[in-house]
Amino acid sequence: MAKPLNDNICEEQLFSSIFKKYSKDLHDFLYYKFGSQLNPQDKMQEAFVKLWENCAKVPANKAKSFLFTTANNMMLNEYAHQKVVLKHRQIKPKHSTNLTPEFLLQEKQYQEKLERALANLTDAQRVAFLMNRVEGKRFKEIAELLGISTKAVEKRIYGALKKLREDIDEL
Amino acid sequence: MNRESLIKKWLDHDLSPQELEEFKQLEDYQDLANLDESIKGFKADSITTDEALNSVWQTIRSQKTSTNRLVSVLSKIAAVLVIGFGIFYFTTTLDTTSSTLVAQQEQIQLPDASEVQLNAMSTLSFNSSKWDDNRSVTLSGEAFFKVAKGKKFDVITDAGTVSVLGTQFNVKYRNDYFEVTCYEGKVAVITNMKSTTLLAGDSFLILDGKYIATEKENRLNPSWLNHVSTFKSMPFKEVLAEFERQYEVEIEDTNIDKSQKFTGSFTHNDIEIALKSITLPLQLKYSKTDNIITLKRD
Repeated sequence: MAKPLNDNICEEQLFSSIFKKYSKDLHDFLYYKFGSQLNPQDKMQEAFVKLWENCAKVPANKAKSFLFTTANNMMLNEYAHQKVVLKHRQIKPKHSTNLTPEFLLQEKQYQEKLERALANLTDAQRVAFLMNRVEGKRFKEIAELLGISTKAVEKRIYGALKKLREDIDEL
Repeated sequence: MNRESLIKKWLDHDLSPQELEEFKQLEDYQDLANLDESIKGFKADSITTDEALNSVWQTIRSQKTSTNRLVSVLSKIAAVLVIGFGIFYFTTTLDTTSSTLVAQQEQIQLPDASEVQLNAMSTLSFNSSKWDDNRSVTLSGEAFFKVAKGKKFDVITDAGTVSVLGTQFNVKYRNDYFEVTCYEGKVAVITNMKSTTLLAGDSFLILDGKYIATEKENRLNPSWLNHVSTFKSMPFKEVLAEFERQYEVEIEDTNIDKSQKFTGSFTHNDIEIALKSITLPLQLKYSKTDNIITLKRD
């Protein structure tokens, strides 16, 4: 965070700016941690509504951790140990020209393997790894969002990469 | 630089161009690049921040209004209950009132077995919810009571109170006229002027502020119950007043001595016969136009 915000977040202006700052990260965090089937966008919005309800009690510099904790808890309430399913969006890289049926089949198998391997990661690994790889965030940014050290993020992401590659080779 | 730190730097998007070349020389570079490409397919659903923010505001505001709505619904329910209880309380504690018009009689059943026959142009009210504790009725006009045995029974008029235990009696209270006749049992009459106890057949009459002794009554009930008004040595004006109550007429009585005493009766059913009944004994003549009756000396 650039500077600690000490104002009252019951101000609509400030609340909106907090929303713009964290809504996407919060959504992505929920998505990568719990998958799409638990409606991460709804939970993200609910968390902000909760933040508004508690705006008098939560100082602005604690808003981020309040949001992440609240949303995480709401998810956990519904989670009930379901297996995480991450939908693959099949956004093909534009430059893949050799679209032989054989290649496509290989590709499909690969995606399925990847899907399973991702689900096999721990929640912590998957969140950090996907935020890094998909959202293009640097270790430091992720560390700030999750409230952990950069070193820990590095460990999670590198560990995730290793585990993924092992799993894919195995499968 | 070793392989692991190269990969970590790559992960952290922190490779210098020179390091990138080095990274590309790794034997498993293609593998990593493929994986990285595929991983991007798992991108989270994109959200439109503004839309999401709007919907958050909407939820926040609707929650606010929904609590308001809840309060308003609750207050509506409360209001209905208050009004309902109010009406319930008001009506159950309200006095029951019966009134008769000209030429009308009405039989009223009181909350116990007591009965009241109300003569024309009379009003009777009582409170049925307190009846067990307080048997009392307020009367203006004339009524005949058949009181069931029980606690004290009061008939309250402006001229005085009549208390009984269980009996039959008639109370007539009209302007300056207050008459109680006991037909059965025992009746206590309390007025400002005089208090007395009446036995069967006794009458009590106050007329124009004076107590008037009356003869023993030997009927079993007042004659008006049989639609006949009976008078014994009554001032003629009382007779005319009763006549006006039993027939819907106005009596113009110029040149008549209304204080002369009248003894006799008139029926309530036939105005011609009734008029003759009250005029002939006093040698009066009458003429009738619409609802106005003019009386003249013979």
